[in-house]
Amino acid sequence: MNAPGVGAARYIGQRVPRKEDPRLLTGRGQFVDDIVLPGMLHVAFARSPIARGKILSIDTAAARALPGVHAIYTNADLAKIKVEMLSFFLTPGNVSITPLADGHVAYVGDPVALVIADDRYIAEDAAALVDIQYAEEDPVVTISDAMTGAPVHADTDSNIAAMMGVEEPDEELEARLQAAHCLVTHKVTHQRISQSPMETRGVIATREGAEELTLYITCQSPHMIARYVSLALGLPDTSIRVIAKDVGGSFGLKNTPWLEEMSVIVAALLFGRPLKWIEDRVENLTSANQAREQEMILRTAFDANGRLVASHGDYSVNNGAYPQGADCNIAVHMFMWAAYKLPEYAFLSRGWYSNTVGMAAYRGPWAMESLIRETTLDIAARRLGIDTIELRRRNLVTLADQPTATTFGIPLEDITPAECLDKLLETLDVAAFRVEQAEARKQGRYLGLGVAAYVEPTGSAGSISVMTGELAQLRIEPTGKVTATMSTHSQGHGTQTTMAQIIAEKLGVAYEDVTVFEGDSSRGGFSPGAAGSRQGVIAGGATIKASELLAEKVKILAGHLFNAPVENITIENGMVHIAGAEEMTRSLRAIAEIAYGEPTRLPPGFEAGLEAQYRYTPPPMTFTSAAHACIVEVDTDTGFVKIKRWISCEDCGTIINPAVVEGQIAGGLAQGIGTVLLEEMSFDARGNPTAVTYKDYLLPAISDIPDFEYLHACTPSQSVGGIRGVGEGGAIIGPPTLVNAIADALAPFGEIGCDLPLTPVKILSLIEGRDLAAVVAPPPPPVVVVEAPAPPPPPPVTQAAAVIDGSWKMVLSTPMGPQEMTGNFVTSGGQLSGELLSPEGSMGFAGTVDGNRLLFDLKVEKPMKITLKYDITIEGDKLTGKVKMGFFGNAKLTGQRI
Amino acid sequence: MSKHEIEVTINGRRFAGAVESRVTLSDFLRGEAGYTGVHVGCEHGVCGACTVIVNGKAVRSCLMLAVQVQGAEVTTVEGLAAPDGTLHPAQQALRDEHGLQCGFCTPGVLMTMAAMTAGEQKPDEEALLAALSGHICRCTGYQGIRRAARKLAAGEGA
Amino acid sequence: MKAAPFDYLAPGSIEEACALLAEAGGGASVLAGGQTLMPLLALRMSQPFILVDINNIAALRGVSRIAGGTRIGPATRQCDGLADAVLAEHLPVLVRALSHVGHYQTRNRGTIGGSIALGEPAAEMPATAVALGAVIEITSVRGVRRVEAADFYLGPYMTVLESDELVTGIEYPDWPPGHVILFREVAQRPGDFALVGLVGALVVEGARITRAGLAWFGMGPTPVKMRQAEAAILGQSADALDVNGLAALAIADTAPFDDHHASAEYRRTVGRRMFTRILREALGRQEAA
Repeated sequence: MNAPGVGAARYIGQRVPRKEDPRLLTGRGQFVDDIVLPGMLHVAFARSPIARGKILSIDTAAARALPGVHAIYTNADLAKIKVEMLSFFLTPGNVSITPLADGHVAYVGDPVALVIADDRYIAEDAAALVDIQYAEEDPVVTISDAMTGAPVHADTDSNIAAMMGVEEPDEELEARLQAAHCLVTHKVTHQRISQSPMETRGVIATREGAEELTLYITCQSPHMIARYVSLALGLPDTSIRVIAKDVGGSFGLKNTPWLEEMSVIVAALLFGRPLKWIEDRVENLTSANQAREQEMILRTAFDANGRLVASHGDYSVNNGAYPQGADCNIAVHMFMWAAYKLPEYAFLSRGWYSNTVGMAAYRGPWAMESLIRETTLDIAARRLGIDTIELRRRNLVTLADQPTATTFGIPLEDITPAECLDKLLETLDVAAFRVEQAEARKQGRYLGLGVAAYVEPTGSAGSISVMTGELAQLRIEPTGKVTATMSTHSQGHGTQTTMAQIIAEKLGVAYEDVTVFEGDSSRGGFSPGAAGSRQGVIAGGATIKASELLAEKVKILAGHLFNAPVENITIENGMVHIAGAEEMTRSLRAIAEIAYGEPTRLPPGFEAGLEAQYRYTPPPMTFTSAAHACIVEVDTDTGFVKIKRWISCEDCGTIINPAVVEGQIAGGLAQGIGTVLLEEMSFDARGNPTAVTYKDYLLPAISDIPDFEYLHACTPSQSVGGIRGVGEGGAIIGPPTLVNAIADALAPFGEIGCDLPLTPVKILSLIEGRDLAAVVAPPPPPVVVVEAPAPPPPPPVTQAAAVIDGSWKMVLSTPMGPQEMTGNFVTSGGQLSGELLSPEGSMGFAGTVDGNRLLFDLKVEKPMKITLKYDITIEGDKLTGKVKMGFFGNAKLTGQRI
Repeated sequence: MSKHEIEVTINGRRFAGAVESRVTLSDFLRGEAGYTGVHVGCEHGVCGACTVIVNGKAVRSCLMLAVQVQGAEVTTVEGLAAPDGTLHPAQQALRDEHGLQCGFCTPGVLMTMAAMTAGEQKPDEEALLAALSGHICRCTGYQGIRRAARKLAAGEGA
Repeated sequence: MKAAPFDYLAPGSIEEACALLAEAGGGASVLAGGQTLMPLLALRMSQPFILVDINNIAALRGVSRIAGGTRIGPATRQCDGLADAVLAEHLPVLVRALSHVGHYQTRNRGTIGGSIALGEPAAEMPATAVALGAVIEITSVRGVRRVEAADFYLGPYMTVLESDELVTGIEYPDWPPGHVILFREVAQRPGDFALVGLVGALVVEGARITRAGLAWFGMGPTPVKMRQAEAAILGQSADALDVNGLAALAIADTAPFDDHHASAEYRRTVGRRMFTRILREALGRQEAA
């Protein structure tokens, strides 16, 4: 791959230290919150506490009166500047979206008013004083709610946000499925995930002239942000400069600005002073767009030999209210069986609107395909009595099968999942593990082995308008040092490192003498940045090409200066050598000084300076393949899973820096482990998020992640440089590998299924053979050692028509011990009003009635400010229910008619 | 709201000024004192990014008030490397082991490592890894952090 | 996530602190280690007008031997408790429990008394105080009163502490040398509150169990004293215990919640298994203090 005559030092493939690290290790990184501009003010939002409702009134007087508050904007104010909210593909949505709520709110956390104040503390004080009155409506929360509920948006007929595939069953396919030797119907429920970059979202917007705007924003590509904001606001993109030097992770969240960022930008244009908004973690967990929340049923038919016959997938994804692009994730189906020999596949794919925060990307957005396919294969293997690895071998596309094409017609030339699996099995002794597993089971210990394989499209370009090539602009400066201005952008990817490695090797200079600039839309050219495992493949290719062009330029000039043929000239470690004339060796600096400063010494027609650029567009798709294995032990006392070993064997072609590649795989795997075991963003029936802090949204800690072992199969790709993308693979293949291992460990108890996350409750339920999540009365205390009083038998439940109106004596079990109160309820149609009387006083409320179910909220100030959400069911003269007490969870309520 | 005069030594330099009662140590260090290497990741004491050393102990700076460091010695990530730029052993170990990606959680991780290995302390690997369970890293899968910790526990980074 | 405004006061003595609390008329919160209070402030779930910082009160810190027991100053930091020689000798189960409180970084700041006074039902320190039979000394301008730990807790974050009262000491009775210590907790990650936790001590004399202090955490709205199991185990032969029967009694005293992390029935199921396993292990191995 080396251009002839260039570069003795090898940098590609080496674990060189990262360029980014010295500043990040010493606290000198530059994240958005580190920027302070003269005259800058701070923003906080007043947000909807309900999932759905009309805004009756917004009273900002008290908030405005607070010292240190400069302005409070609502949608009516921001509407002075037209904003078109666009998808990641820069297309307008099919529902109306405004940066601040326009007359109605559509999810808990929907921003309603924007406060501008001297500092964030005061801004939050004021946001709490903005008095917004709502008429609450019943929300659509889950996918099944969305299928049957009233449309979330006034401008759509149903809650279908996007749909592809066929609703009517294909009779031939159905017949084939039903007639097959073995039909596996497998349902996967994937929880909602918070991308949770450690740096939350944030933006500083400053108007610098009539149409000039500078943004500091944490993002995945400053160029993408500039392009988006330009289109959304109708400003020329030349007037917009976006700076994002260091970004604290993103994982798909920060592809484009969304409601809050656009609100701040518009507010800054209106207000005329620099505004900073830094999302706090509660906002991040409730109002930043989220990902996944999918349900899929995959039906897959096998013949008696375990060969695939046909398959059908029915996929649904919750888009939330305002997705960053309404989507039904066609890629799930495109890549479902791409690596397997499957004659026939059909699908139905739907995205659903709901009254939840919108959907955005998350590392490997189509990962459902690998999860449901690879878990299906293991279920099938157990049912067919075929070894899980053998079943894959019988169906995987091997190198010998290629070139071929997938059922979707995607050409396959060099995918290697089967070869990765073989390589993996050289390290993993499956037979020995099975012996160990059998021995352990005799001692009541449950070990499991999971294996999974996949292919992943990376470095996509040319098929979607925003998925462009990458631009590399290289200069040998007059100092002889090399600078590159790239369209890449790192949120931890280390592109300043990997691109410098390529340049150093291809140009023949020391790695230390190369500096890569990125993170500023005024430098370099457009690319969507980190999205779809693309930067290594595409920017790598661009950098190689630009380096070659620049080396050629150096050689032409040196050849002219020293009267030597170009082919005799080499560049090594920053020195220009002429074969057979070592005394003529010159530094790049000496050559560069001439190139820039002495035009009369240049060859005729030679452009002064030493600069080159190349925009590389790779083949439309570059596949990465992998096979992973992990071994777990499940604690049958607790349902906890311990990961004991994990081996990754991936094929990402030419590796630029193994440490960076392994870092990407490990980070993705850790997220995959979090997905399977810990992370869960869920909502109650009223659409309230149940994990609003990191106490409840559980991210994997160091103790949850094992040491990973890596094997690299390095089959060069067709792209320049032979690189394949590796950014997302771990997050795609991690979950099925782990689920399969858990399922293998628990196979003696039955099928664990795939309702993520596989919590201790779910796992112990399988082990116990009963549903531990179901609400059951505690068993009566048995009389064994001493006499214990037997509990009184529960009173018989009398079924009677629900008469609600009247007075009720109620006891709330917590938080202050049993608390007695009297409730007076008055119903009118679906509306409920009334008051609660307790020794502390009385409080009125209004709520809703649905049959015999009452729902209402009480806002309590003491002992702390908290909203109590009552959910009461009336059966005759008895009343039962629960009260959700924010941070403290639920308390039980019982009562009877007075 | 009360305002308080405080005097504190940060990274060996004296800082004197007035702080409002409700301002957290993390906001004070970043905003008033200018040590933006202190990263605020969750503001409720779970993620560990804001960890600094106060009087020799690693603490979450989002869980202290600025007024509480009156008279204290505070070290932030900016105070770890030697004046000549030589990296602290914890910094060097993370660099050598590719223990960071986006770098946002890194300052907190470093401060725990530095506090636990300060002076003659040589924590065993188990103790160091247990302490590091108080830091959330979303990028690395902790592989390089764990390798660095093992080095530090063994004293190789010193 | 910025706290609502408050005034900050850092009294130098117990008297001064109590006077401030009395004067505040319920509008004050006590700031000890702050490792739980500070998040509540940041989330604006707690909005006191005055924060009374007790970290400058030397009399509230430290561990001392008293007649028949050990006294811990409530503002004693958890990290200092972990390293304390007196606690290691006399209250080994407390030290064991301390090592599970929060994380290294929060133990460097968090206090033993803060955890006890706050009353998180899934926390280690309240249950340990209940199990070991600690007495909590409470001081206000109205005087000093002493409350058994088992009577101190009313509900989640709810205790008998009045708004003008301050915990000024926790006194643990001595358990004889060689007592059996019991501690186990199931939590999803290190530092998380327990889904299920058990703490306790047993005294075995001859073959008989002569004293028992057992409590659950994460198993109800408060730390749960296993009154029935404690009563039943007394006088039993350590070699011939009906462990399953005792476990059923131990569970009978619990009232766990369903929450985001686990169901009540999960907690009962795991608790029962945990109880039988830990009791068998402890009495079989005689893991002595």
